[in-house]
Parts: sequence; structure tokens; C-alpha cells
Amino acid sequence: MTNQHSSRIHPAAKMHAEEYAEGKISRREFLTRATALGVTATTAYGLIGATPAKAEGHAQAGGTLRHQMEVRGLKEPRVYDWPQIANLMRGNFEYLVEYNNDGSVRGMLLESWDVSDDAKTITLNVRKGVMWDDGSELTAEDVARNIAGWCEKDVEGNSMAGRMNTLIDPDTSVAIEGAIEVIDSHTVRLNLPNPDITIMVGMADYPAAIVPADLNPDDIMSAQGTGPFKLVELEVGVKARLERKPDHTWWGTEIYGGPYLDAIEYIDYGTDPAAWLAALEAEEVDVLYESVGEFIDVFDSLDLEKNEVVTGATVVIRTNQAAEIDGATPYADKRVRQAFALAVNNEVVLELGYGNRGVVAENHHVAPVHPEYAELPAPEYNPEKALALMTEAGYADMEHELISIDDDWRKNSTDAAAAMMRDAGLNIKRTVLPGSTFWNDWAKYPFSSTSWNHRPLGVQVLALAYRSGEAWNESAYANPEFDSLLGEALSIADADARREVMAKIQAIMQEDGVIIQPYWRSLYNHARPGQVGTGIHISYEHHHYKFGFAA
Amino acid sequence: MGLFILRRVGVMILTALCLTFIVFFLTNLYPNLEKLAKTQGNMRMSDEQVESWLGERGYLDPLPVKYGRWLGVLPGWTFEDPEDGKITGRCIEPGMDPADAPSFCGILQGDWGESTVFKDEVGTVTGTRLALTGKLMFWVMVLMVPSALLIGVLAGMREGSKLDRSLSTFSIASTATPEYVSGVIFITLLASSAGVKWFKGTATSAADNATFENFFLPVLTIALYGMGYIARMTRASMTEVMTAQYIRTARLKGVSFRNIVIKHALRNALIAPFTVIMLQFPWLLNGVVIVETLFNYKGFGWTLVQAAGNNDIELLLACSVVAVFVVLVTQLISDIGYVFLNPRIRIA
Repeated sequence: MTNQHSSRIHPAAKMHAEEYAEGKISRREFLTRATALGVTATTAYGLIGATPAKAEGHAQAGGTLRHQMEVRGLKEPRVYDWPQIANLMRGNFEYLVEYNNDGSVRGMLLESWDVSDDAKTITLNVRKGVMWDDGSELTAEDVARNIAGWCEKDVEGNSMAGRMNTLIDPDTSVAIEGAIEVIDSHTVRLNLPNPDITIMVGMADYPAAIVPADLNPDDIMSAQGTGPFKLVELEVGVKARLERKPDHTWWGTEIYGGPYLDAIEYIDYGTDPAAWLAALEAEEVDVLYESVGEFIDVFDSLDLEKNEVVTGATVVIRTNQAAEIDGATPYADKRVRQAFALAVNNEVVLELGYGNRGVVAENHHVAPVHPEYAELPAPEYNPEKALALMTEAGYADMEHELISIDDDWRKNSTDAAAAMMRDAGLNIKRTVLPGSTFWNDWAKYPFSSTSWNHRPLGVQVLALAYRSGEAWNESAYANPEFDSLLGEALSIADADARREVMAKIQAIMQEDGVIIQPYWRSLYNHARPGQVGTGIHISYEHHHYKFGFAA
Repeated sequence: MGLFILRRVGVMILTALCLTFIVFFLTNLYPNLEKLAKTQGNMRMSDEQVESWLGERGYLDPLPVKYGRWLGVLPGWTFEDPEDGKITGRCIEPGMDPADAPSFCGILQGDWGESTVFKDEVGTVTGTRLALTGKLMFWVMVLMVPSALLIGVLAGMREGSKLDRSLSTFSIASTATPEYVSGVIFITLLASSAGVKWFKGTATSAADNATFENFFLPVLTIALYGMGYIARMTRASMTEVMTAQYIRTARLKGVSFRNIVIKHALRNALIAPFTVIMLQFPWLLNGVVIVETLFNYKGFGWTLVQAAGNNDIELLLACSVVAVFVVLVTQLISDIGYVFLNPRIRIA
């Protein structure tokens, strides 16, 4: 690994290294914290005297990998709404930084970055020698243009705007003047009005692909990129094929190794795991996108390799506090929400809904894998109190319709929760909607369950999903105290200091009964033996350059 | 005859118009449009974003106007972006100068529109998918028709014999088992680790390269269902013919049983099954929806499911036109074929 080091190591990173040495934090936590501060993964490992694990050392060159995945229509990266779309283009459009299963963030198109001590200035050092397909070099201008694009809040469905929120001027809905500053041909400086520690990990998220200046949103497929693969065939819902660009020298080969494969084929087998099973049995795919629910046991019984990653991905059963039902807004009443939470024993939901493949969560959407997680007492399970609260609120007779998507684990988990609510004496009606219609109104259902993917920092999901007025605020939660505390947490770069605030935030979430969040999921996928680098990624990213067949 | 065919074509156009209008009406209900906007734009768009997305693409205009545009009797929508003045429109292909674009683009102009799910021309999508279903249907027919006729004739030759009873039991059982039951049983028994792995439980790769291994199960699943039905019809028709006067006369003349069946009975016995076989075509179009989804064979039935699930308006309309066409054309063929098989019937 050459030329990875930025000359300066953030002081907080050194402090974290000491904490790691003292056993106060785990290695994963250390890596997440240190790399978010701009320390490269290699340096971070160096600080604690460890060597990075090398999983991709034994791949042979060549081969075509057949990957089961939904093949969706392309769109402009910043409006991507599914990781699958990003995966189709990931071989071509690369990212500034890459988040890995061990919790570290490492530079891709960025060689390194520095976060100032007050977390208000971020200096991005663009990697030199990265070439677009037309032979021109990737420059700071390209990076600045992409970041500015992410900040265009008015673009329909631009979810990057949420991640870059600090950079956006609320009056003009674009980046604040002077916030994105090009220093020289390979340096960009971000000047934030408020400290924001999530920007760097936000740049690792799947819509943050770096696109060329001449991108035509109607023809994403033939756009030029910096990566080693090109999407040569795309039939939505059927299949897609990525091939190595001929005679292409990839910048990453000497730094990270790879790419190994000649081609990757994505084949769409729909959303039914039974079809994936049939495909594996027929030897028509080599690796699954994700193995889910009861089928994990079935796949285990076959001659396959199982990959696992523990995440902060979860399912949330939430009420929409603004929802009107027959002229009333029952879920605006805190007692009603608390009643639901009291009626559900999260451990039982984990067992019945997800076969114990995860860890119990505590109704506040901050995971133990997040660096700033504050341990709170487990939520109370008390069915009698639940009914009493519901009666007190005057909604004991009301029938609550609990909606979920029609799949395996989300449906089962919601069923388990509903069964416990009924046991507590609450009047629950279950409705299961097919996947094709469920997402149309996902944020507006009065009472429903939603799946959330993992994000590297605990504050991130809170900012996306529970801050007042956010597009993805499905619970319509609006609490000024929560908002201001979260704003405070978002400005503390040091995870330990942040934890103090987080403890308060998490307690507010529990107290307000915003969500029932039964468990954190482990993710799995299964692959036919003899592959490297195809294990499931913590946020479903496919790093094609790591894929290969074992030598 | 010419007039008869002409009248049938007229009926076909009228039916297609009525059916597409109903489909058009249903797919243009606001919740469905909202779903469309969200699947096309972003799953998690807000209401205002949905509204502007739909408005910019002409979806919020009155229903008859939109239907007229689809037919090509009204000019397509255009939209001028208030910010950069960029003009987009139904008839303006990406990269085309708005001034050069035609003002009408609908069925009458030969433009079937754009599939929102598959991001491709509707004509291309239905064409490719129909060809794949055609391949499936061809092999179904090759397997189903001869075996059904054979079973029916064998069973009908001697009514009440042991052969008749066992074949009848088989055909009743196969008709009584719907595709989604027999398909699942076949996959479990013949294509999984739970049973024997003789075949493949998925036919996805059969689209490019159909082999006995990956294509037999879906073919068998559809064929079995129709087979029993046709066999029963053939048997009934055969037993009736076998009791006819002229068969008795032939027997008394000393014609061998074999010759009676092949030379005298068969042609008359095939009239009824012929209609049934023709009616099987539209029925198969229906059956392939289940089987193609079950075996992940990406043909017409699968396309229909995807189009309906994603409210792909123009693709659904094209699918309905295809369905009307297939039903009425097969009926036409069966009516005409009837005349040749049965000289007693004439078409006015």
C-alpha cells in the first residue's frame, strides 16, 4: 500500500488507540472512529499494532461470476434508491471512500483526508493518476462538482442531499457559497458552517458515486467512469453483464490488488427465496445477493459456503404520529405508543421472527456496533401496563391496523409483535402488502414495519429518520429537544464525548415510544465453494475488484 | 368467407378498444400513478415530488386526452422546464430537437410507447417476450397434443375397458392438478436435493439456451394440465363415434378394428378436440403466467406480472392487445378449421 498516509494524524485517533490498548473500545469501534477522522485504515491498524486482514490474496485471474441479484433500471447515482442499482454501475463509477465490513473507511478516489479538530474543515486529497475512460485525469474539480451535485436538494429523489445537509444553504437549496473550495488540482476543502462528522461516511454510501462531467441522465450505461468494469448488457428484471474494460489499467491494482474476474453476470430471480434455491440447485448462479429468513437453514443444508456479517441493519415497527384515522390522531398520544412498546418482548420477536440470527435491540435505533452507542437498560416488557395505558388514552377499543411487507422475516417479525400485542389485550389487525405496492406509501402508513439498512455511525439513521421534517421520517416524529440534542451530537467528532449526548437521545427515543425495534440483524449470503471476496457486505455493496475464484 | 373474416377483424378491433380503455382507466387511477412515480422516480419521494413528477410527464391530464395520445389521435404532451427552458415530450426522443419531433405518436403511428419497468420500447419488449413464450408453447403443444389425442383415442376405443378406466383416471388427475401444485411437486421431486436432481428447477437460462434439462419441467407442467382435458374431450367424442351406425356397418362388413379406428372413426372424432385445442392457446397464455413465474422463465406471462405489479401502463395496454389478438385469431382459425373437418357446417 503506497502513498496512503496523510502526514498528520488526528489527535483524537491517537487517543482512541490508547483506549483500544486499555480495552475500553473494540477493534471495530476503533477503526470506525479513527478512519472517520481521516486516518487511513493502514495507519489506523498501525496505531494499534495490528496488520490488516487480507482476504483477497488468493484469487486467480479470469472467470465469469454469476451473481443472483434484482436487476433494476439505471438512474443518476444521486437518486439511487436501491443498492442493487449502485452495484450495477459500481464497476464503472467509483467512490471517494469505501466502507468495509471491519468498520473501517478507506480511501478510493481520495488518497487521504483530514478532519480539523473542530470537525468544521475537511480537506480531501484526491488520488493522483486516476483516469477517466477518455484519458483525462480525475481532478479536484470533478470531486467538487460531484459534491455540489449531491447538495442540489430540489432534484427529485436526491437522497445525497440528506447526507450533505450541513453543506446546503436552506434558502437556495444548493451548496453554501464557498463551502466547497478547490485548493489545487488535487485538493478540495469543505468549509462547514457547523461541525458534521457524518459527511465522510456519507460519501461511502451507495448514491455517492463519482460521475463524469458529461453524464447524460438518460444514458447512464454508456457513461465513462474510472473503474475497471463496464456494464455491457442490461435487461431490467432479467440480467446484466459487466465486463472488464479491454486494455484498461486500473489505478487500484497496485494499491488494493484486483480486479480478477473477466466478467460478472447479474441474474434476476425475483424476490422469492425459493427461486434462488432453485437457481443454486440448478447451478445457474454462483453466489446469492443475500440469504434471508428460514431459507438460511435450507441453504446451510446444501454444499455451500456461508458468509456472515453483524450489522446495524434492523426492522422498525413504528407508528406515524401525524396519521389521521377516522378524524383522530391516535398515535400522537405518547401513551398509545408506549403501550405498543410495553406489549412487545423484543427477545421473542428475534426468536420467532428472525430465528435468533441477530442481537436484541432496545427501541432507540443505535446499535452496539456504532462507536457512540450508550448502553441503556433494556426496554420494559409489561403487558398489563400496556393495556392500562391504552385504556387510559381512550383507544382500547380501537382496531389498530399493523401493516408489513409480504416477505419472510419482516412479515414474521411483525406477526410475532402483533401476536404479543393481542396477548396484551390490544386490538390489532394485521395487513400484509406485496412488495410491489408496500413501498408506495411506506412513510405514511399509520402503523407499519420498515426495514432499515446499516449505517456506519449511530447518529446517521437518527438524522435521516427521526429529525423533524426529514423526507424519510416515517414516524412523523417532531421533538425539538431531540432535534437539538441530535444537532449537538452531530457536531462532536469524538465518539466518547458524543456518547454522553447519545445516552440522552436514546433515552428520549425510548421514553417517547417512537419505535419498537426488536433486533439487529446479522446478514448472510451463500456461495458455491471456491470464491473469494464475494461474502456479503455490511451495506450490500459489491466491490467487484475483490471478486474472484480461488486459485 | 371474406366478409366473415372482415367481420371478425372488426369485432377484434372493437374488443381491443374496449379492453384497452378499461385497462387504461384502471392503470390511470391516482394511487396507481403515484406508485408509478415512486417506482420510476424514487421509492421515497414526497407527495409534492410525486405531483411534479407526474405533471411534468403529462400523467395528470384528463383521461380521454391521455387515451387519445396513446391511440395517436391527439398530439403528445410537451413540457417546458421553467428553469432552463428545456422541452421534453411524449414524442421527443432523448437527444432529439423538440422542433423536429412529430406531434402525434401513438398506436396509429406504430409507436407502442416506452415500458417504464423495462426501460425499453414496448414493441421490443413484447416482441422478445412473446417469442420466448412462443417457444415454450410450441414445445407444450408438441408434447401435449399428440399424447392427449393418443390417450383419448385409446380410452375411447373401447368404452368401459380396463384401459379406458386407467387412462381416464390419469387424465382426470392431471386436469384436476393446477400448475402451481404440479410445478412445485415436480421441482421438489425432480430438481432438488430433497428428491433427485434430474432436471433444473429454474428455466431462466432456457431463454438463451433451452435444453431438455432446463426446459422439460415447465413444458411438462403446462402440458399435463391441458393434456387431461383434451384427452377427456377426445375420449367422449371417440366413444360417441364408436357407437355410430356407420361404424357398426363397417364392423359387419368385416373391417379390422384397427382400420375402423384409424380410417373411419378418427377424423370424425377429432372435430371436437380440434376446437378444444384451439381454445387451449388463450388458455395457455393464462397458464404461462403461473408457470413462467414459478420457473422464472422470462416470457410473456412473466412480463405481464411485472407490468401489472409496477403499473407499467403502456406495456399492460400492449399485453391486452396481444391477448385480444390471440383469443380472437385462434377462434377464427378454429371456426375455419371446423368447416374443413366437418363439411356439414358452413360459414355464411
